Amino acid sequence: MRAKQLLLTVLVLLVCSSLMFAGTVSGRVTYTGTPVKAKPIDMSKEPSCAKQHATPVTTETVVTGPNNGLENVVVYISSGAPDDSQVPSQAVTFEQKGCQYIPHVLVMHTNQELKIVNDDQTSHNIHPLAKVNREWNKSQPPGTPPIVDKYEKPEFISVKCNVHPWMHGEFAVLTTNHYDVSKGGGDFKLPNLPPGKYTITAWHEDYGTQTADVTITGNETKEQNFTFKAKAY
Amino acid sequence: MRLISAILFIAMLEFAVAAGLTPLACGQDVPDVGPKPPLAVKAMESHIGDLTGHSADAKNNYRRYCVGCHGEYGDSNGENAIWLDPKPRDFSIATFKCRSTPTGTLPTDEDLFKSIGRGFTNSNMPIWNTLGRQERADLVAYIKIFSPRWSNEKAGEPIKIPPEPPVTIESIAHGKALFTKLECWKCHGPHGEGDGPSAATLTDSKDNPIRPYNFALGRDDSRFKCGSTNQDIYKIFMTGVDGTPMPSFADVIQPNDAWDLVHFLRTLQVHRHSKENEVLSAAHGVIPPYVDKTPAPTAAPADNKTPGGGQ
Amino acid sequence: MRMWAQSHLCQKRPRVWSVLAVAFALIFLIAASSQSATALPAFARKYGLRCSACHESWPALNNFGLKFRDNGYQLMNDRDAPIWQNPGYWPVTFRITPIWHRVSSNQTVDVYTPGNPVPTGSTIERITSSGFDLSGLDFHTGGTLEKNISFYVLPSSDPTAAFHFESVMARIDNIAGSPWLNIKVGRFELNNLLSEKRILTLTANGGIYQTYHFIPVGDGNIYGQMGDNQFGTEYVGHSVDDRTRVSAALLSSNDGNVNLVTGGNNYSGFFTFDQGVDVGRLGVDRLGAYAFVGEAATYYRTNGGVPIPGSGIGNKGFSRVGFTGQFYFGPHFDVNVVTQHGEDNPWFGQGYGNPVSPSNGSEGATCTSSVPAPGCTLNNSPGTTLPAGSRSPVWNGYLVEARYVYSPQLIFLGRYEAERMSQQATPGTPSNLGNVSNYVIGYRYNPYMTSRSGFAYHGEFNLFHQDGTGPNNSAGNATNINSSELLFGIDFDF
Repeated sequence: MRAKQLLLTVLVLLVCSSLMFAGTVSGRVTYTGTPVKAKPIDMSKEPSCAKQHATPVTTETVVTGPNNGLENVVVYISSGAPDDSQVPSQAVTFEQKGCQYIPHVLVMHTNQELKIVNDDQTSHNIHPLAKVNREWNKSQPPGTPPIVDKYEKPEFISVKCNVHPWMHGEFAVLTTNHYDVSKGGGDFKLPNLPPGKYTITAWHEDYGTQTADVTITGNETKEQNFTFKAKAY
Repeated sequence: MRLISAILFIAMLEFAVAAGLTPLACGQDVPDVGPKPPLAVKAMESHIGDLTGHSADAKNNYRRYCVGCHGEYGDSNGENAIWLDPKPRDFSIATFKCRSTPTGTLPTDEDLFKSIGRGFTNSNMPIWNTLGRQERADLVAYIKIFSPRWSNEKAGEPIKIPPEPPVTIESIAHGKALFTKLECWKCHGPHGEGDGPSAATLTDSKDNPIRPYNFALGRDDSRFKCGSTNQDIYKIFMTGVDGTPMPSFADVIQPNDAWDLVHFLRTLQVHRHSKENEVLSAAHGVIPPYVDKTPAPTAAPADNKTPGGGQ
Repeated sequence: MRMWAQSHLCQKRPRVWSVLAVAFALIFLIAASSQSATALPAFARKYGLRCSACHESWPALNNFGLKFRDNGYQLMNDRDAPIWQNPGYWPVTFRITPIWHRVSSNQTVDVYTPGNPVPTGSTIERITSSGFDLSGLDFHTGGTLEKNISFYVLPSSDPTAAFHFESVMARIDNIAGSPWLNIKVGRFELNNLLSEKRILTLTANGGIYQTYHFIPVGDGNIYGQMGDNQFGTEYVGHSVDDRTRVSAALLSSNDGNVNLVTGGNNYSGFFTFDQGVDVGRLGVDRLGAYAFVGEAATYYRTNGGVPIPGSGIGNKGFSRVGFTGQFYFGPHFDVNVVTQHGEDNPWFGQGYGNPVSPSNGSEGATCTSSVPAPGCTLNNSPGTTLPAGSRSPVWNGYLVEARYVYSPQLIFLGRYEAERMSQQATPGTPSNLGNVSNYVIGYRYNPYMTSRSGFAYHGEFNLFHQDGTGPNNSAGNATNINSSELLFGIDFDF
């Protein structure tokens, strides 16, 4: 009885401590300089998609927000997190809709299930151009079941559809579950970080990678901003 | 007199060899093609039928026949590669066009053996059927040393190909329906002439422009990149041509239906004497609309976990 | 430049003169003929392959290069037609070799006594000359005019820049889509498995295959020359992997001379067959056979005693048959063997057949009606009979060439050739008269191997021996020829 009580107390304490001491890193990703203007995409070769957009969509390689915010930047813990080997059981979904990839950047854990769906009236071929993982290329006509796969090694993978050359997306395969993709004004948030020393990496598909070191001691929210230099072309 | 001749001979020989070695020591002037990656592994083997190939035995042959295009490190950076289109195979990423295994998997040793002996039409890859079988097996082992994938992964499981059904006009009609439904014409064009709406913007996995296969050019002696028989066509679209825009349709075509598509594709080769063209001209050159006689399927699962599953 | 061997005059002359004349002619003929057909950087540029892909060590072909040639210089990937090349691509390769060489042979030399400007006698001396020199120049153009239509044109010059057409041919390849049907027309090299046009040596006597050129002493048959490019049409068939090869050529018996200067109706045939066998680790070995059978004229109608060109009749027969073999012992060592059994008609043996005028003063001029000459060739005119006991000259010869291929860039080779008369044309002639033994060793080192040009450091030594064809000694007996040549050169082509 006493042993069991002791055990329970210890467990509760541990859980509470991890809940109690969980910091957050948040911040903004911004850019300096003048980024390339997003160009409108001509979807006239695929009328079934073109009619889904009242105004043409624009390229998503560089997506900016208010106050020089930079979107679609993957911000993640690249070292220091103790629970990174856990593979989430939930799948992530990559959607093809209106001849666009949604989301433009999809983050997943290594070996996490990836589900690719085609919600368009046209065939797409999914061609993730992996160099570290296996490169494959599959056709996905409309109305066919989702394609399910996973990636074993961390890598940033360009994804394209050969039939619709304007379609471009990115898979970010990470070895951590602590990640976020910057949105809106470039905001990101990495919650649930136990005390410790962390390296945070910010990756943009065109502007490159930046890192920063952050230390969490308790419940605090540490601010960490990233600024990328825009490219002229 | 003889002695003087001999001395002179040896002196000249030494001079010549020294003179010859000097430019070698100074290095050969080749276009700068980037940093050289280290070799992945030390030695590999290959197994084709009763043959066992050893990479160590192919070093001389690789240097003699292959290095000019494929490069010393197998990364397609041979000195001639910049003038070639299509580019030579990059063995360091171990992505291969012609396989009997599913997309994204390594080919079998036999796939590579056949590719070497068959060459690649419409490219600079010669037909190396003059090499002995043992020499070819050794070369298959040799190209494996350029990528660590061969040590970490097993080759894919070859796809199962059912026996070819007879060529009938119904089969061709079904093939045509599949060609339309699967939107092959988006790249290959409605008559398979490589002029589909997406054809002009196609790029391969290294961003080099690439054209889809033009079936109308196929004559009696024509080949595809990955063979020339009906079975080869079957494998091409059921395993995809990795490294190119051509995807695998293994998840979306039933194996028996795939043969119908093969028969239709042969009729796109309008200048070729084939059983399929005979059947088509017996039907006065008209492909009837396809009537789907298969019973309606029961509720299919909403989601399919295994990549190999079909409709 | 074709050099006619000196022949007999109608009067009887001492044998020694005719023997000497043939020997000189042979040597001159050999020295004057240029190095033809070689590695073509033009092919390497077209296909992006290094020289080593087709050449065991350039210019000698390996099995892949042999298949390329048998396909009509095509890779058979539907990219062979010229339309696939940049319009600036021009299929021309030139080859030339500046050399230093040292030649040594025994010759008859006049003897002078002091104070007397007129020679008082003669003696045999070894004359050695050395110095820097040049080979001839070859301009190769060859390849495809269209898919399955190939061509080759080779203007070739001797070291004095006198040009002639060594090779001019057009070939229809893969007729009806079959590799067993290829037809070639023009002037071309014979389909020898061991090709003299891609020989690895350059000296005067070592840079040709004696076996392909052997003519018995006094023999007037200049037509059975397997090593010379001949006029005719050739059928070639081969299996898809080129393991089995067969050819049959119909040739004019004019030894590659233009303007129909020889016969009215003399043709020969050249037939070959060889089979390659996959011997596992050792490589691909080949065994084959050849036959050169034909006839050539021995009687030329004359006008004012001068033979009329192209009027040759009185055909007599000749044959050269033998086996060929190519044996690989792993990737580094191989041995090539050619045997020959040769027979000429007794008329040839006595000197008939070669329409050359020795009396118009210019060495090697062909008999034409515009060249006045009292008597011309030894002519088998009606009523002529052979000396009693005349026989067919018969001989057996063989050639063994061993190569050590250290790498595609460095090759060492050694060759031995023996031609042995088994029956002399005239009874009483020493049985070994005219026998040849030829020894060659050499190396070629290519400091680089790309697909743009060829460059080789070349070193070679040759010993040539022939019985009874050397200068006469003081007793009037013919000595043997023992000549040697040491040669170093830089052999290059672009």
